[in-house]
Amino acid sequence: AFGRSVAKLAVAQVCEATGFHALQQSAVETLADIALRYLGDLGKAAHSYANLSGRTQCNALDVILGIEDLGSGLAGAAETSRCVANSAALRDVMRYVEYAEEIPFARPVPHFPVFKKRAPTPSFAQLGETPPHPHIPSWLPAFPDPHTYCHTPVWNERKSDPRLDKLEQARQRRKAERSLVSLHLRLSGRGAVVKAHGSKGKGKRPAAHHPFLAPPLSAGEKEVTLVTPFRGTTELHAQNQDSHGPAALPSVLEAFAPALEAVKKGFEVVDSGSRPLKEKQQTFIAETKDRMPVSLTFDWGQKTRAKALAAKRCLAQPVSPPSNKRARGNASSWKEEEKDEKSKRAEQILAQAMEESEE
Amino acid sequence: MNAVITHNPSGEPTQVHSDAALLDFLSSLLDYTPTIPDELAEHYLSRSGFQCPDIRVTRLVSIAAQKFIGEIASDALQYCKSRQAAATKDKKGHQHGKEKRLVLTTEDLSAALREYGVNIHHQEYFADSPTAGTAPSQKTGD
Repeated sequence: AFGRSVAKLAVAQVCEATGFHALQQSAVETLADIALRYLGDLGKAAHSYANLSGRTQCNALDVILGIEDLGSGLAGAAETSRCVANSAALRDVMRYVEYAEEIPFARPVPHFPVFKKRAPTPSFAQLGETPPHPHIPSWLPAFPDPHTYCHTPVWNERKSDPRLDKLEQARQRRKAERSLVSLHLRLSGRGAVVKAHGSKGKGKRPAAHHPFLAPPLSAGEKEVTLVTPFRGTTELHAQNQDSHGPAALPSVLEAFAPALEAVKKGFEVVDSGSRPLKEKQQTFIAETKDRMPVSLTFDWGQKTRAKALAAKRCLAQPVSPPSNKRARGNASSWKEEEKDEKSKRAEQILAQAMEESEE
Repeated sequence: MNAVITHNPSGEPTQVHSDAALLDFLSSLLDYTPTIPDELAEHYLSRSGFQCPDIRVTRLVSIAAQKFIGEIASDALQYCKSRQAAATKDKKGHQHGKEKRLVLTTEDLSAALREYGVNIHHQEYFADSPTAGTAPSQKTGD
């Protein structure tokens, strides 16, 4: 097929040289077929002439004789008594070569037919195997491997611990939920948000007032609490805190109060402030009964806020010294670091909120 | 008995001379690249049993084939031109646009090949069924 298409191309080129502008497809195919048959016949004739002379390899003279055989009515062609080299056919061909212009083939043709190099099946001796039965000599090709014709069971090599898989899944789910929650918070409550994250051991409960719906505090509205007892916690949480206004600290520390509690207890703390917002956090509600009842109010009432502050402060004070000790003891460093980042961010946001409210 | 002696009318020197011409020709073949590629010729020659390590002989074969095809093509061209000339003569028109377009058709090719002894009959048209294209036969209602 490849040879045929190549021949078609060659024939088309010859016709174009002859003067045709266009060719019919079937005409080209016919002509290519004729050309290939001519080639074959010429080869066959030449070969038979060579065999006639007792040779296997063909000669130029054999070819010329073949051309004469296939030639059509050349003047003075088949004369037995003349020298082959002088034949009219040869002279015709020579004339053709001289006068016809050279038309090299359009594209490079690879050597064909291409034989695929197939590696032979190694013999028994080559493989170093002994043939299974005594009647089989070792120089014969070896048998194929049994797995090619016998079904062998396949099992999964990878050890899969279902428990670990489940834990991993749960962890990923929690992570996704957490990021979703934070995104939602960020979108809905710009600037007035204390980062409310539910995570392992760093729950920061926002101030008891609902951060999004609470009206901005005017200066002096909020009670400025003592700074000293809280310093311990600030030391605990962030050594590199920016100094914020005193109004900022209490609310931040309120936020940290549950965190301290959590550190002390070592439990996962739920972001209760945002629980009314999101139902997703239902999954990791934990230890609510252990917490002091904090009023999760949506109202703007100052009284409730003050109550909450007081409650938190009660919490904070007994908790802070032991948690300090604990911190200096064996608090895990990564928790602290995470808390630091989150607390820093929370404080920054709070500071922004305070600035805005003051303005 | 008369022995029939067929001797070469051309003497030795001429034979050598013609051999030399042949040799020259063969060497000139190396410069000329035939349109039929060498690989193609070799493939089909090997299929028919032709064996020759000499590339010049293969070139000779391919050139002979090319010449053959060229002759057929030129004959077909003649037919085509004569047909076009006949057409223009009939119409006596200014059909210069049509004249320039020389197309090798199967009709011209078959006419040209007939001289070479190759009979090609090209199907004029293909029909789905024997009655395709004919007028629908009228049904006589009863």
